[in-house]
Amino acid sequence: MDQRWTQVADLFHRVLECDPSRRAALLDEACKGNAELRKEVEGLLSFEASASDHVQAAVRTEIADFGFSLGVGEIVSHYRILSALGIGGMGLVYSAEDIKLGRRVALKFLPEESAKDPAALARFEREARAASALEHPNICPIYEFGEHDGQPFLVMQLLEGKTLRELLDDRRSRASDSNSSGKAGNQASLPVKQVLDIAIQIADGLDAAHQKGIIHRDIKPANIFISNQGQGKILDFGLAKLAAGASDPLETTEGNLSIADVGPNSKRSESASQDPLLSRTGVAMGTAGYMSPEQARGEKLDARTDLFSFGLVLYEMATGRRAFVGDTGPVLHAAILGDTPIPVRQLNPELPVSLESIVSKAIEKERSARYQTAAELRAELESLQHKLGPKRLPRIWVSGFVAAAIIVFGSILFILNKPPKTVSVAPEIRLRQLTTNSDENPVFGGAISPDGKYLAYSDARGMHVKVIHSGETRTIAQPEELKNGRMKWAVVAWFPDSARFLANSYRPIEGDEWSSATASIWTVSASSVVPTKLREQAFGCAVSPDGSTISFAANRGKLGEREIWLMGPDGKDTREIYQAKDGSGTDCWVWSPDGKHYLYVARDESGDRGFSQNVAGGLPVTILGPSELEKSNDIVWLHDGRVVYDQREASTDACNYWIARFDLDSGKRIEEPRRLTNWPNFCVSSGSVSRDDKRLVFEQFSGSCTSYISDLQGEGSRIRNVKEFTFNGDCAVGWSSDSRAVVVGQTRGDTYRLFRQSLDSDTPEPLAPVMAGDLYGLGTMTPDGNWHIFQIWREQVGTQQVSFPLATMRVPTNGGPGETVLRTSLPAMVSCARLPSRTCVIAEKSNDRKQMMLSSFDPLNGRGSELARFDLGQDLDSFLIGVICQVSPDGERLAIARSSQGPIEIYTLRGQLIGKVPTHSPFKLVWLTWAADQKGLFITAKGGNGDELSYADLRGNSNSLRRCVGDNNCFGFPSPDGRHLAITDRNHSTSMWMMENF
Amino acid sequence: MHGISATHDVTHLLAQWANGDERALEDLTPLVYKELRRLAASHLRKERKSHTLQPTALVHEAYLRLVDQSNPRWENRSHFYGIAARLMRQILVEHARRKQADKRAARTVSLEHALNFGQERRRDLIALDNALTALEKTDPRKCKAVELRYFGGFSMDEVAQALDVSAVTVRRDLRMAETWLHREMQRG
Repeated sequence: MDQRWTQVADLFHRVLECDPSRRAALLDEACKGNAELRKEVEGLLSFEASASDHVQAAVRTEIADFGFSLGVGEIVSHYRILSALGIGGMGLVYSAEDIKLGRRVALKFLPEESAKDPAALARFEREARAASALEHPNICPIYEFGEHDGQPFLVMQLLEGKTLRELLDDRRSRASDSNSSGKAGNQASLPVKQVLDIAIQIADGLDAAHQKGIIHRDIKPANIFISNQGQGKILDFGLAKLAAGASDPLETTEGNLSIADVGPNSKRSESASQDPLLSRTGVAMGTAGYMSPEQARGEKLDARTDLFSFGLVLYEMATGRRAFVGDTGPVLHAAILGDTPIPVRQLNPELPVSLESIVSKAIEKERSARYQTAAELRAELESLQHKLGPKRLPRIWVSGFVAAAIIVFGSILFILNKPPKTVSVAPEIRLRQLTTNSDENPVFGGAISPDGKYLAYSDARGMHVKVIHSGETRTIAQPEELKNGRMKWAVVAWFPDSARFLANSYRPIEGDEWSSATASIWTVSASSVVPTKLREQAFGCAVSPDGSTISFAANRGKLGEREIWLMGPDGKDTREIYQAKDGSGTDCWVWSPDGKHYLYVARDESGDRGFSQNVAGGLPVTILGPSELEKSNDIVWLHDGRVVYDQREASTDACNYWIARFDLDSGKRIEEPRRLTNWPNFCVSSGSVSRDDKRLVFEQFSGSCTSYISDLQGEGSRIRNVKEFTFNGDCAVGWSSDSRAVVVGQTRGDTYRLFRQSLDSDTPEPLAPVMAGDLYGLGTMTPDGNWHIFQIWREQVGTQQVSFPLATMRVPTNGGPGETVLRTSLPAMVSCARLPSRTCVIAEKSNDRKQMMLSSFDPLNGRGSELARFDLGQDLDSFLIGVICQVSPDGERLAIARSSQGPIEIYTLRGQLIGKVPTHSPFKLVWLTWAADQKGLFITAKGGNGDELSYADLRGNSNSLRRCVGDNNCFGFPSPDGRHLAITDRNHSTSMWMMENF
Repeated sequence: MHGISATHDVTHLLAQWANGDERALEDLTPLVYKELRRLAASHLRKERKSHTLQPTALVHEAYLRLVDQSNPRWENRSHFYGIAARLMRQILVEHARRKQADKRAARTVSLEHALNFGQERRRDLIALDNALTALEKTDPRKCKAVELRYFGGFSMDEVAQALDVSAVTVRRDLRMAETWLHREMQRG
């Protein structure tokens, strides 16, 4: 050991051990004439404060990492590790197989520290979920969040391709390998076509997210992924905020962000210290180059911060160079705040002039000078792309007609004229979400204008017209006479002038949404203020291709509409063209694009058939039979004569579009159907197409469950520790008898299967193999614990209507296939008590629908002797299930509802009334279950704000537990031991989307 | 990995390694590796609420589990302590290096950047290891003290005993060593 070291150490200790006030003096004295010693010791002392922590942290971090080294084949939750993809800044990323679903995913572990801030983690999760919920093709979806040994991870789509960062780096290294030309910057850039293609997609994804109130905050090339097919995806929504590790008190108290929050006038605070890029120097380098001036200044952020960062990405794609460079954070900050980057065309003269102006506007330092929305930016990119892009070959048009798009809700049409002379090879289909409707406010009806410029659509808030290229949206004013009613709108079709469209207003009647009896027909001018009413008690169907005639349906019967009429666009000159025979009905009649045929669906007891009939007369020809129509929800007739229609796939939750060609006069297929799309899990309806057949707009709906397990407190009246329990949209539908596992129903298209998932494990065990149909509501368990009893129905996609017969199934609780116990052609509900009672009952609607009959029920023998009858109120028809009757766990009492408005009545099993649970209006019962101690009920009811789950004691004192997202599909059910409450909330969301390049 | 034979193996192999048999290390590493990993994971589970992971406690526990304390061959306890701590250091550093290599290998995988979460985490342990190696040249005792304390998980008194100095000296050694190492790591 050298002397100098000893000297340094000695002085080091002396300084540390002396009184702090004397340190300076000590150093002065000890280092007289030895400036170097002083420098050395002072230098060391400056590292003393947290030295021990640092050394320990280095060891600790490695050990922590050590503990998480997952090997190939290891199981995490229900994922099997396939390989390590890399080490992210904060943890490992693995590729893995989802054992439950059999798909490959990426597992990304988040930093251990993120688990320390549950609020930040929850917020990240919320944002990431919200972004994923958009199901936007340009946003990489996160499927699930989990925790493995205390380390949070997320499961995301496994993508094949490269990040834009890698793409640019590859480009740059190739350029520098051959830099003899001296145009390295140029060569490192991407081709203009590719720049625009990527940029439009990313702008699209940003637009969707921003509309939903989600800001990315860390847009950079490393967060943009380009799949091998050229699809751009934005990664890591919400993650930037999590990296900050700081909770924003304003955000954590808010349940959801609203659109207003991201607008230019956002009131939401986002102080400097909360910004990851500022508060963490470690994070700053990778990202600082893409931060916005307001981010650098630590100001509050709105969506425009993403547009600035995106502008920098655009800059880099176009030039191969970063707009701002700097070795350190402060230098970069100063550049971002003060420097104007070299205009892109000086670096790459091949760029179009307008791209330079787009980039310059995107990276304006002043927010108000930039693009204000992603849609605006996208529109400019698109118009540039349009100018540069090669013109598509004109399609062969059928004849000189100008046809409106053809749409039929929940029904049909098709056919064609001439086969095409050329078959074009379709480039990749491009999808864009046009509206971001919340779960509570689904789209119902929408159509693209024939000129392809506007989308008219309707939702619970009214009718809206959206300019597709800018995203600008105008809401049509509500006519005075509809202001107080519970009327909804449904946009039907545009007139050929692209200036007016046809819409119906109707009073929603559950289970029978589309009745002419409660509908009226209106025309709406896209530019005028108020719609004009044409007719009442009728339901508008279509506008003829020449705009001269409107078809409408009237006189609702049991099997659909009974009459089809025509009228002029002013509502005059009405004439009937069709009357359904007894025992049959029809839906809308529409015109073929050439106006020469009517296309319609007729229905009788044997099923639905699609017909074409020459306008000039003659007999109708069957185009599609019941088996084809059963799987189809949407049929759109293209102007080139082909037909695009959807087919529901039994094995998945998907409905995919197919394209085919029919001969209208013979009903024969001229061109074999070809599948157009490959969508994972949603279904479509309300398709319409622009006159040039380039833009197909449709309604997309998807349903998924969220299930929660909570602890019951306050004698079962309150819930605590609500935890999300199932994933992938599966519904919890029952408990195991020991209260330690829940039964989860996984619905995939036309089939379902059952799993049992223990509360303390992540791995579900199969309970029953795949069965046809879908589960209705919840199951019950027989008192002996041997059987789960479920009711199975077939959901008509998108309609939520129960179709009969309804099958009551028994499934062994120790696993095995389900067997049908009985079928009922009218609504029925089975419920069972717990031991020592042996009671199970089935409540069924009587044939005249006026009474509810109660019988004993046996899982092996089915219906037993009748116990009681109850008169029903008429409005019970509007229940999804149609009857509500639950036996108490002790088998002594029944809770029934004879009217959906309440009250809930408590009876003995012999039908003697022993109490009433008052309900508060507005009230409409959806479901109820008994508390395990039978002292109260868990009730789902529609109130003023949608469905709500509450606990009520038998005197009617109630306590709200949860606001449901789903409509008519939200259930709370206690574990048999009364300690937990499982909540299943199934929602259906619907938005308008646009498909191009098909 | 549990039970007498493993314990016996480890003790035996440690002795061989201490006697200069480098092949013993090859056999030793996977045994210790596995146990350490198991412990690390279980500790994280246990301690995730308090968010504290005491590396000292952890490695010490691994050592206690793996080494037969009553083995008479370990007459020179301080020598043995040193060997055990060095082994732990070696294993952890090896792990860190391997991860870094994995990371480099993963560069060819396209998702790697995509899934990066912010900035690359520095492998501080490698920097610490390098700094320790440098420190050993100048002041082997201080290096030993750090190894024993943080990689061996020994108490101050045990470290003092192993180094044959007073506990006060160990405390001072560690303070100086940590400060110096910290500075070196920051420079690294």
